[in-house]
Amino acid sequence: MEAKVILKQDLAAWIDALVKQYEVIAPVTEDGVVVFRPVSGLSEMAIEGMVGPAKSLREHFTPPTETLFDYKLEDLSAEVIPPENEERHRVIFGARACDAAALLYVDAVYSNVEPIDTAYFMRREKTYLVGLFCDKPAWSCFCTEVGDFLTNPVAMDVYLTDLGNRYYAEPLTPKGEELIGLGNFRPADENDKAANEEIRRKALERLPKRAEHETACLSYDWDHPVWIELAKKCLSCGACAFLCPTCHCFDIQEHPKLKKGSRYRCWDTCQFEKFTLMASGHNPRETRKERTRQRVFHKFKYSQERYCMLGCVGCGRCIAACPVNIDIRKVLEELEKTAVAK
Amino acid sequence: MRQKAKELLESGEVKVVIGYGQGSAPFKSTPIFIEKPEDAHKLIWNPTCVNNLTVYLRDACRQGKAAIVVKPCDARSIIELIRENQIERDDVVILAMSCPGVLNLDALAEIDLADVKSVEWHQNGIAIKTNAGETIIPSEKAFASKCLSCELAESPIADEKFGEPIERHPIRSKYADIEELEKMLPEERRAYWARQFARCIRCYACRSVCPGCYCKECFTDKPCQLWVLRSTDVESNWFFHFSRAMHTAGRCIACGECERVCPMGIPLMRLNQKMRKEVREMFGEEAGTNPEAPPTLGTFDLKKDPDPCSE
Repeated sequence: MEAKVILKQDLAAWIDALVKQYEVIAPVTEDGVVVFRPVSGLSEMAIEGMVGPAKSLREHFTPPTETLFDYKLEDLSAEVIPPENEERHRVIFGARACDAAALLYVDAVYSNVEPIDTAYFMRREKTYLVGLFCDKPAWSCFCTEVGDFLTNPVAMDVYLTDLGNRYYAEPLTPKGEELIGLGNFRPADENDKAANEEIRRKALERLPKRAEHETACLSYDWDHPVWIELAKKCLSCGACAFLCPTCHCFDIQEHPKLKKGSRYRCWDTCQFEKFTLMASGHNPRETRKERTRQRVFHKFKYSQERYCMLGCVGCGRCIAACPVNIDIRKVLEELEKTAVAK
Repeated sequence: MRQKAKELLESGEVKVVIGYGQGSAPFKSTPIFIEKPEDAHKLIWNPTCVNNLTVYLRDACRQGKAAIVVKPCDARSIIELIRENQIERDDVVILAMSCPGVLNLDALAEIDLADVKSVEWHQNGIAIKTNAGETIIPSEKAFASKCLSCELAESPIADEKFGEPIERHPIRSKYADIEELEKMLPEERRAYWARQFARCIRCYACRSVCPGCYCKECFTDKPCQLWVLRSTDVESNWFFHFSRAMHTAGRCIACGECERVCPMGIPLMRLNQKMRKEVREMFGEEAGTNPEAPPTLGTFDLKKDPDPCSE
């Protein structure tokens, strides 16, 4: 598919055209934090020189709280009311390559066994992604260690690169071509292509090389000293997991009122002590040692075994957000040292 | 400080020294737990030592006597833990540092963090070395906002002090942020907090990092009692944050950790400072100043405050 270019002065009109047909979700700065939320035009968006969005796209596919059904009780009969299918077709504008790549992983998780997660896949099908190349990776970014999706994007329909006064746009799907068709684009010339390459080269220069993290956890070292070190400092909060684009665990909760109520699911994480607490009182992951180990093994071992892919896209949010500077890159380094030694 | 830590471990006086170690980037420190005298050299002290390490103190003291490296502000948490009977004074050796102020990482937006080589104190603020050279970030920008209103020349409680007391000239009122909020109309204030709490993802980092949040089971975690729904709607989030503010009222020492770690940038210290101001006005007390004083909201003096119901 042919790459195109749109001048920044024409961007507002393109967004307006998208807003007419779709719900457009884009980065917005609120109290200094970049969040993705529905917008009605370019003026609300924080796309120019965008810094890392605080959260991944996860909340737009599996909301932090999602009603599964409401119910009403009348004498001995119960009526179950399914939730309304609220979503119209949406465009997520300005998605990061890492966050898009994470969707492929979550797809695998939620379709691995029957029944598949219909609420999630309904949103996936109704959502188109206009990605934005990350030209200023943060200190915590390591996407290039775990894949090449920064330059070979996945799960996107269009991939934009900021070339200064214009955006370079690569349509990646027929839907992407359709979206581009709504704006005043012209075919990319040799200059545009060269500028695009240059920006990519500069970003890649800053980022680490592909690493062999596939092997990090192969030793399956249940009692590696690194777990003991992590357990000492980890505070068992869920900042890492709730910012993670591939974390997908949820809890099911009930909100009962007298004769009605609702059942909903909400985000949960293996870092919380109660996550694996059994009704009997037994907790198989009783201490922080087991819980921190679970998070790393899940991403770098179990995910490979189950879905043949890593469960990490290197967005680095867990690194930047950890209150006590637990850095998953350093954990992997430690594990790899012993993996090699063995 | 390293020498003292080494001696304490060599003599067997303490089992562990809780301090700051080099983090995964030059502008990051990380909590470390030194158990062998030969590891004492791993302790660092520089503007990146932002954490309030006293959050680890209760668990550590249960294993034996512990030494801890503290900033003057964090030392106030130890006073609170002692007066709330969470630790014994004799179970902790307090290694108190003189602190010119700690780094506010968020203020370094224009510096390419990936390029930073070192972060050091400088007489005018913080010196950041990068490949391109040295940049001096002036104090009012480089330091965390709590440091700009800090009045503590030295630690209010200590066994060993390191460095000279620091002359304090606060350039910001402790209550600057809440004065702005207090001026709002109630409905404006309500809208303000609704917007903030709408962002909350209930990761509980604020709670986990708080030395005052030491309940064995938090009210949010009770599986069978729905004090607060786990759903992340504004009302539930609101209830969680206000309950936490009320639970820590009279005990919060304003270390600012909850606000620092919030990944969603919720200005939680505005709640806590408001409660501190109320407690000061109502009881004339400030948390973290006197280990002998009974807990402010944990006592009831019938002489001072007669109960009309019992009369």
